[in-house]
Amino acid sequence: MSSATPETAMAGGDAHARELETRFRLALKAQKRRAVMMRVGLNIAGIVLAIVLWEVTRFLPGVNEVLFPPPSIVIAEAIPMIASGEIPNNILVSLKRAGGGFVIAALLAVVVGVLTARLPVFNFLTEPLLHGSRSLPAIALVPLSVLWFGIGEAAKIALVCWGAFFPIWVNTFIGVRDVHPIYLRSAACLGAGRVQTLLWVVLPAALPMILAGLRQSIAISLIVLVAAELSGATAGVAYMMSMGHQLFRVDVMFIGLFLLAALGFLADRLFVALTRKLFPWYASSH
Amino acid sequence: MSPAPPLIEASSVTQIFAASDGEPSWALKNASLAVAPGEFVCIIGPSGCGKSTLLHMIAGFLTPTEGSLRFRGRPIEAPGPERGVVFQEYALFAWMTVRQNVEFGLKMRGIGKAERRDKARRFLDVVGLAKMADRYPHELSGGMRQRVAVARALVNEPEVLLMDEPFAAVDAITRATLQDELLRLWQEFRISVVFITHNIDEAIFLGERIVVMSAHPGTIRSEVRIDLPYPRDRGSAEFARLYARIGAELYGKGKETR
Ligand SMILES: Nc1ncnc2c1ncn2[C@@H]1O[C@H](COP(=O)(O)OP(=O)(O)OP(=O)(O)O)[C@@H](O)[C@H]1O
Ligand SMILES: [Mg+2]
Repeated sequence: MSSATPETAMAGGDAHARELETRFRLALKAQKRRAVMMRVGLNIAGIVLAIVLWEVTRFLPGVNEVLFPPPSIVIAEAIPMIASGEIPNNILVSLKRAGGGFVIAALLAVVVGVLTARLPVFNFLTEPLLHGSRSLPAIALVPLSVLWFGIGEAAKIALVCWGAFFPIWVNTFIGVRDVHPIYLRSAACLGAGRVQTLLWVVLPAALPMILAGLRQSIAISLIVLVAAELSGATAGVAYMMSMGHQLFRVDVMFIGLFLLAALGFLADRLFVALTRKLFPWYASSH
Repeated sequence: MSPAPPLIEASSVTQIFAASDGEPSWALKNASLAVAPGEFVCIIGPSGCGKSTLLHMIAGFLTPTEGSLRFRGRPIEAPGPERGVVFQEYALFAWMTVRQNVEFGLKMRGIGKAERRDKARRFLDVVGLAKMADRYPHELSGGMRQRVAVARALVNEPEVLLMDEPFAAVDAITRATLQDELLRLWQEFRISVVFITHNIDEAIFLGERIVVMSAHPGTIRSEVRIDLPYPRDRGSAEFARLYARIGAELYGKGKETR
C-alpha cells in the first residue's frame, strides 16, 4: 500500500533505470577507492617528506650524528636487529603486556561502569575510592610495583590495567547513566526485563561513549607500558630503548621511539576499522 | 443498566513534580479519563498542560502522586506489552535495523526466530515498509520512522496504542498520509487508541472523542464527542463547526458550549 516509500533497487524495472543504477554503483565504488588511495598516498607522502627533511639535517652545521642520527643510520642499524629477531621479539613482548592489561581493564571497567551507573548503592559506596584512585597517575605506582612484585610480567600487566581502567570506566559510567529515557521506556513497554534491557538497549546505547573510553585507553596503555618497562624489564620496546640509553646508542633509542609511534598509530587505526566493521550503524550515522 | 467496563480508567489522578527550586509543581490535577475497548480518544491542550504526564501514567512510566489508574480493572504498576507506546520521535533503537526493531518485543517475550521473522514481515507490510527491513533508522525519513514505530508497537498485539504527538515532527503531506493509515490500522486491528496532539484538525479528523485540557494546573476542561462518520471530510461544514468549537474550548473564549 503506502505510496511514500522510495524504492532503491529495480526502480520501475526498466532497462535504462537498471543501467543507471549499475553505473551509479560503479561510480560510487570508484569514488570511494579514490578517496582511500588519496588518503593512504598522502599519509605515505607525509612520512617520506619527514624522513627526507630529517636526513637533510646531517648536512646542517652543528648537528652531531651520534646524538641525532639521520634515518639512513637508524635504518641501517635496524635491519640486522629485525633480521636477528631482536626487534620482533621486543615488539611481541611489549604487545602482550599492553594488550593483556588493556583487555583485562576493558572487561573490568565496562562491568564496573555499568554497575556504578545503574546501582546507586554501589556507586555511592565506590565513588570516593574510584575517583580518588583515578587521580593517581599510573606512573606513580611503578616504583611500588617493582618493590612489591619485582620485574615479572604480572606486575607490568597490572600497571597497564590500572592506567587503562579509569578512562573506560568513566566513559562507560557517563554513557550508561545518560542513555535516553525514551530508549528505556520503549524497551519496558515492549516487554523487556532488566537484564534484557541492559544487554540489548543500555549497552548499545552507551556504546559510543564506551568506544571513546577504549580509544583513550589504548594510548594510555602504551604510556604505562613504557614506564613499566623502563624501570625493570628484560625485554620489550622500552627496555630496548633503556639499553640504548645505557650503551649510548641514540640510534637504538630512535628505533624504539619509531616503534612506539607506529604501534600507537596502528592500534588506533585497527580500533577504528574494527568499530566500523562491528557497528555499522554507529560508523555511518555520524 | 451497566455499561461495558472501560479498558483504561484514570480516576482523579494528580501528579506533582519537584520544580528546579525544589518547590512542588502541579503538572496534573484531579484528571479523570475512561477509555472504552476499541475507542479512539484524542487529547488536546496547550503545551505544558500535562498531556504527556497523563499518557506516561497510563503507560506505567509514572506513578501518580494521588489517584488511581486501572487497566481492565487491574491497577497499572509498570509498563507492559498490552499497552503499546509510540513516541514523538527518536524512539527507534538506532543500533538495530528496521526488522530488528520490529522483532524486538517478540524476541523479549521469547518468541522463536521463524515466527518473529514472519510477524515482523507481516507488520512491516501493513505499514508499507517491507522493502526497508534491513535499513537502519537513520537511513529512513521521519514519516517512515514513525511507521516503523507503529509497526513495532502493533506487532506485540497491544490492546491500546498510546501515542504522544506521533506525527508532530513530520511534514503536512506525510502527516495526512500517516493519519489515513492510522485510521485504517485502528479499524483493522480493533484496538483502542489514545492520541495526543496539539493540532485541532488532527484531533477532529481522527478521534471519536476529544478530551480538551487546560494548563496551570493541568486539568481536563471538557470532552467533545465527534459523531462524524469515517473517513472524515475536512471541507465539510460540520468539520468547520467542530473546529471552531474546540478552538473556543481550547483558548477559553466564552463559555458557550454550543
Ligand atoms: N520530570 C519532570 N520534572 C519536573 N516537571 C515536569 C516533569 N515532567 C513534566 N513536568 C512539568 O509538568 C507539566 C506538564 O508536562 P507535560 O510534559 O505533561 O506537558 P504536555 O502537555 O505534554 O506539554 P507538551 O504539549 O509541550 O508536550 C509541565 O509544566 C512540565 O514542565
Ligand atoms: Mg508532551
